[in-house]
Amino acid sequence: MEQYRKNLRIRIALFGVTILIFTGILLYNQFGASALIKESLPFSFQCGFSAAGALVLVFWMMKYRAALRDENKLRLLYNEENDERMKLIRAKAGVPMVLILSMVLVLAGMIIGYWNETVFAVLIAVAIFQLFASAAVKVYYRNKM
Amino acid sequence: MNTRIKELRKERKISQEQLALFVGTTRQTITSIEVGKYTASLALAYKIAHYFGLPIEDVFDFSDVDLERI
Repeated sequence: MEQYRKNLRIRIALFGVTILIFTGILLYNQFGASALIKESLPFSFQCGFSAAGALVLVFWMMKYRAALRDENKLRLLYNEENDERMKLIRAKAGVPMVLILSMVLVLAGMIIGYWNETVFAVLIAVAIFQLFASAAVKVYYRNKM
Repeated sequence: MNTRIKELRKERKISQEQLALFVGTTRQTITSIEVGKYTASLALAYKIAHYFGLPIEDVFDFSDVDLERI
């Protein structure tokens, strides 16, 4: 359990760094980006993605901090993450590979979007479809198993 | 696979949460095992049997396992 505590502290630190990066992107977008870029679709998406990403990470950071303060919550979180049934369901839903690939598609889409908005839309649509398909498989097996 | 987990829990007045916490799993997994939706791994089955102080075969019913096909 001590190893898991260390693991959570590392995750909190990594989340903190990522939140800082997202905040940096948001600040740059707000004050540094040119008016021409601000009118593009990828720009709006980048702002929304950064803000939503930061909020989600803040939620997880709070959850991990609460678990570190309470032994019972820590145990529940550990069991939840290491539960064999959930591991099997996650594997069937393609986690974490689907998440990694979707993230790569989103990042690629955000970069290419400044040159070609159609490619941006296709990449984001594929990423969203992948995530929905994975979530659907997860829900199906959670009910089936 | 049929199990006696629910019956044993009721006898000893143990909740699914308590059992799950002890054997290192979630309440949902205990529910799934109890209703026969999910077959526990050998390690989890051993932990559950150990919790009740019984041999695995007294907690889990292996009668539907086809030994001819192993």
